[in-house]
Amino acid sequence: MRQVKFILALWKANIQAAMEFRAAFFTQVIFMMINNGVYFIFWVLYFDKFNAVRGWDINTMMLLFGIAASAWGIGAFFFGNFISLAEVIVGGRLDYYLSLPRPVLLHVLASKSIGSGMGDLIYGIGSFMLSGYFTPDGTLRFLLGVFAGVCIFIGFLVIVQSLSFWLGNTVALSQFALSALLTFSLYPSVLFDATTKFILLTIIPAALIGTIPAEFVREFSWQSAIQMVSGSLVFLFLSIFIFKLGLKRYESGSAIQVEV
Amino acid sequence: MKKYLSILSMQIINNIAYPGDFLGRSISIATFIFIFAGLWGTTFMIANTDVINGLTFPNMVWYFMMAETLELGRPRINRTISEQVKNGEVAYILNKPYNFLLYHFSAGLGDGAVRMTLNLIVGSIVAWILAGAPPPLLGWLMAFVTLIGAWILHFCFMALIGLAAFVVEETNSFELIYQKLVFILGGFLFPIDMFPTWLQNISYALPFPYMMYAPARLFVKPDVDLFWRMLGGQVFWVAVFVFLLAFVYQRSEKYLTVNGG
Repeated sequence: MRQVKFILALWKANIQAAMEFRAAFFTQVIFMMINNGVYFIFWVLYFDKFNAVRGWDINTMMLLFGIAASAWGIGAFFFGNFISLAEVIVGGRLDYYLSLPRPVLLHVLASKSIGSGMGDLIYGIGSFMLSGYFTPDGTLRFLLGVFAGVCIFIGFLVIVQSLSFWLGNTVALSQFALSALLTFSLYPSVLFDATTKFILLTIIPAALIGTIPAEFVREFSWQSAIQMVSGSLVFLFLSIFIFKLGLKRYESGSAIQVEV
Repeated sequence: MKKYLSILSMQIINNIAYPGDFLGRSISIATFIFIFAGLWGTTFMIANTDVINGLTFPNMVWYFMMAETLELGRPRINRTISEQVKNGEVAYILNKPYNFLLYHFSAGLGDGAVRMTLNLIVGSIVAWILAGAPPPLLGWLMAFVTLIGAWILHFCFMALIGLAAFVVEETNSFELIYQKLVFILGGFLFPIDMFPTWLQNISYALPFPYMMYAPARLFVKPDVDLFWRMLGGQVFWVAVFVFLLAFVYQRSEKYLTVNGG
């Protein structure tokens, strides 16, 4: 309960900060929605020409985009530092969080909010509503899929960026991991062979963010549910474990930092 | 001219100073080509054909390799300019004995030359493994010539977006929209040959195909008529945007307020 109050206070502070520059915030939100919409034109053109690929059509793609965009949006807006954790570690900026009596990882992640994430979230919900799967049970499955997506996005990127504790600067590696995860999650894994599918379920768990939740929303199956739930729990707990392990090796540069 | 060459060479040295980062960037192109080859391999198989709108599967993979080389190598100077405008650094640069835009042009070219070369090497290896031998020499030549015009057009757009920081706080959103317009109307994700006719007409009336489709398409299917058409289009759009950029830059200087310090 104490941690819930803490995180709600952080989110409130982030929203208040965004509202200080509300014109810039709303510009980011609107432009991100337009950006996603323009990107989706590719699939409109593709399915206009080829109708369907291995059971995937334009509606399924809207569903996949809905889940992936919502998951990314929630991560970016509410836990914005999950994409810049390596920079925080390498820059010695953990000192500030370590000196406070709150869970370090949670505090770091929720201390930053990326305004455009709200645009992704709104776009994702809109895309889901237009996909043809917007039914009461479909919505429940969508929410579960998005939740799993958030856990995997955050868990996977925290693991990769925590390598900075051992390897030093992993900003380039983290950017690659982010780019690969995001790109693969926006393509149905039916396009790839068995080996690649296995990679997309494990090493780069993009299928657990896009394809599996989309198939789960289309039709309930225990297999998809177990894959999603177990995958998200494994990545989440593994990320906490690895971050804590790495934290023991953290060395401060004693630099004077100002956290805003 | 000598000072701009020095800026260019300095940027090249900066880029190769960190080999890990340098190689890390090149892995991205391998990933993207792999995904794209998966998509089009499956599409050709399901369509049960070797040719779609005049392009074969190897054509598609090599097309994407060239397009991705340009996309990942294009200058991101909008972010630098925008930051310099917002944090006031621009005031220190303006009093230096070089032209602000030519400085960024040289720095961006140094940056882009290294990135594009590396992307071309890594991308070619991956494309060769996935789709077989590369296009003929004429394709490489036509692509190289049109890459120059494409790169200058990208530079003009990026500089215009960066200079927008003089009037608006947030410019990253403009870059995202610009990028997606190039992705779609420039034929990055989907070659223009596959568009419906009405969209092809819209696309050709805009500068985007000359920034992406031109080098990629000429690379895989060298065609003399298309080459001159694309080159003509590039010359026209470069003239338009260089003029526009010079005009916007002049106006932007008037917006500049320096508070000392």
